[in-house]
Amino acid sequence: MSDTVLTLEHVSKNFGAITAADDINIEVGQTEFFALLGPSGSGKTTMLRMIAGLETPDTGRIVIGGTDVTRLPPYKRGIGMVFQDFLLFPHKTVAENITFPLKMQRSSDTEKAEHLQWVVNLVHLEGLEDRYPHQLSGGQKQRVALARGLVSRPSLLLLDEPLANLDRELRKEMEVEIRRFQLELGIPFVYVTHNQEEALTMSDRMAIMRDGKMEQVGEKFSLYHNPTSQFVASFLGSPNVFSGRVSAVDGEIATLDWHGHAIQARAHGGLKPGDAATCYVKSEKIAIETDAGEMSGEIRDVIFKGQYADFLVLLDNGEEVTVSSSHRGQLVKGAKTHIIWKPENADGFPAGE
Amino acid sequence: MFRNLSITLQIVMLVALYIFLYMPILYIVYVSMQTTAIWPFPPDFTGEHYVNLWHATDYHTGFRNSLIIGIGTGMISSVIATMAVIGILKYRVKGSKLIAGLFLSPLFIAHILIGISSLMFNKTLLGLPGNLFSAIIANATYATAFAFLVLLAQLARYDWRLDEAAMVFGATPRRTFREITLPLVWPAIFGAFIVSFLLAFNNLEISFYNLGATPTLPTLAWGSLRHGISQELYALAALINAAVFSFLGLLYILIRSGVIRMDFKD
Ligand SMILES: Nc1ncnc2c1ncn2[C@@H]1O[C@H](COP(=O)(O)OP(=O)(O)O)[C@@H](O)[C@H]1O
Ligand SMILES: [Mg+2]
Repeated sequence: MSDTVLTLEHVSKNFGAITAADDINIEVGQTEFFALLGPSGSGKTTMLRMIAGLETPDTGRIVIGGTDVTRLPPYKRGIGMVFQDFLLFPHKTVAENITFPLKMQRSSDTEKAEHLQWVVNLVHLEGLEDRYPHQLSGGQKQRVALARGLVSRPSLLLLDEPLANLDRELRKEMEVEIRRFQLELGIPFVYVTHNQEEALTMSDRMAIMRDGKMEQVGEKFSLYHNPTSQFVASFLGSPNVFSGRVSAVDGEIATLDWHGHAIQARAHGGLKPGDAATCYVKSEKIAIETDAGEMSGEIRDVIFKGQYADFLVLLDNGEEVTVSSSHRGQLVKGAKTHIIWKPENADGFPAGE
Repeated sequence: MFRNLSITLQIVMLVALYIFLYMPILYIVYVSMQTTAIWPFPPDFTGEHYVNLWHATDYHTGFRNSLIIGIGTGMISSVIATMAVIGILKYRVKGSKLIAGLFLSPLFIAHILIGISSLMFNKTLLGLPGNLFSAIIANATYATAFAFLVLLAQLARYDWRLDEAAMVFGATPRRTFREITLPLVWPAIFGAFIVSFLLAFNNLEISFYNLGATPTLPTLAWGSLRHGISQELYALAALINAAVFSFLGLLYILIRSGVIRMDFKD
């Protein structure tokens, strides 16, 4: 990448017996929205803290804007950050909180006023400049934290689960806005979250973490549609899980024997005939039809969600499968139905990982 | 029925407790305004003891010396204790339990032993004479332990991630302390100062051994016990109590009105 802003090379970090980062390699480009997605405890915060300089890696190198910052203290790195619990300074007003980074840079009063004006308009905090944090709602605190991160126009903004403490409505709204800020400013955002919807909505590329390891890094579409790691296949979307034994492998496609049915999936991890395998199929990638299909069954329940519905199908072999599809009149509870999916929409991995 | 009875009983006990705690203090204020202390009933008010106190120069010297010891000890103890608590809570230094234990252990040493041993140590090994300075140092040994205890309890609730946030936004550690930590925790540091100030101001044994003939208020009070209590002492006690209570009242008003904030979170 020619316009790389942030590089992590072979970065590792241990806390006693816990490995919080295990040989991490990342590159983030100039105008990129990069999401770090993983379950709680997977090492996302530790990663951000190392980039910010609040934690020193045991091994490896961190480069920001061409400078090796691995041993540089946080106050010399010139990056912005939005913290998980906002961490606004309780004794400072909104305006003082927001201009704090400028004050530390000894900016002039006019410069401070200009930047404040600009960022207050950007994040819609007009009229709240003289309030104290305890006089703000959760959403307003969030905006102040964002404004403080952006005010000095840093070369890089780190965000640690910035929307985790907001209710769903507000979160949806902020997702769109944060993405807008990033596009407007043209600086890279590294966005940590455990919420895949957030990561998928906002990011260009993302990395999926588990137990301090990077499971897969890439374009969000490629991670979603073409997982190469079993964890990623099981984590993204809400996949159905099928366990069976491989009966044949033909090129990229493996055939599994699953409770008397032959099901097909892309073969990963060197699957060969006779192996026990686990296969993941995202619920919206299964077609549901009343007339024809490979496996037949009966609709046990319909969970209507508006734009689409989840159909719980009890197959004739006694197994349950969830299918997401548009809601149709004939797909009612108790109706006979058939399901089918394309082999390239299913991913099979060696079982027991 | 029984419920009412038990509430009544609780109120009676509470009132009795307050009388037990505060009557001696109120009584001394009363006696300080009476012509005689032997049996000051019926009341016969006079201001003569206060006038005498105004003219008694040894009480002035004693008050000044006690003030010097109190302020000196208060400053040394609160600064050292603040640094120690920040080291333990913010930087989570290795062996922090042992360090905390060593800071607290002077609490368990009798003051008279601290007095004697610091006098001997200062004189024999360091060749220092007993004076106000050595009295301040000796008082600081245990006053620091109290200040440490006060600060540890208060700052355990402080969110050190605020300091980290400031550092990410460009503040050096020193700047962070000035901009974030100090403005938020100064009431706790001030509390530690007050505690160590009062301990040293009121201390008899340690100051006595280190000062010899130099008077402080407690040594004067103790001396006058042996030579028959003069009523200026009651007047002095009344004035000191008045000062302490009006100080506490002022503090209460400042905290209630939000000028001093004791919570570290928003
Ligand atoms: N300062 C620390 N001391 C000890 N263990 C830590 C420390 N910080 C993080 N950890 C551990 O490292 C792992 C990763 O933590 P973290 O980076 O906070 O994960 P996440 O942000 O993905 O939830 C966890 O097991 C956590 O308990
Ligand atoms: Mg975290």
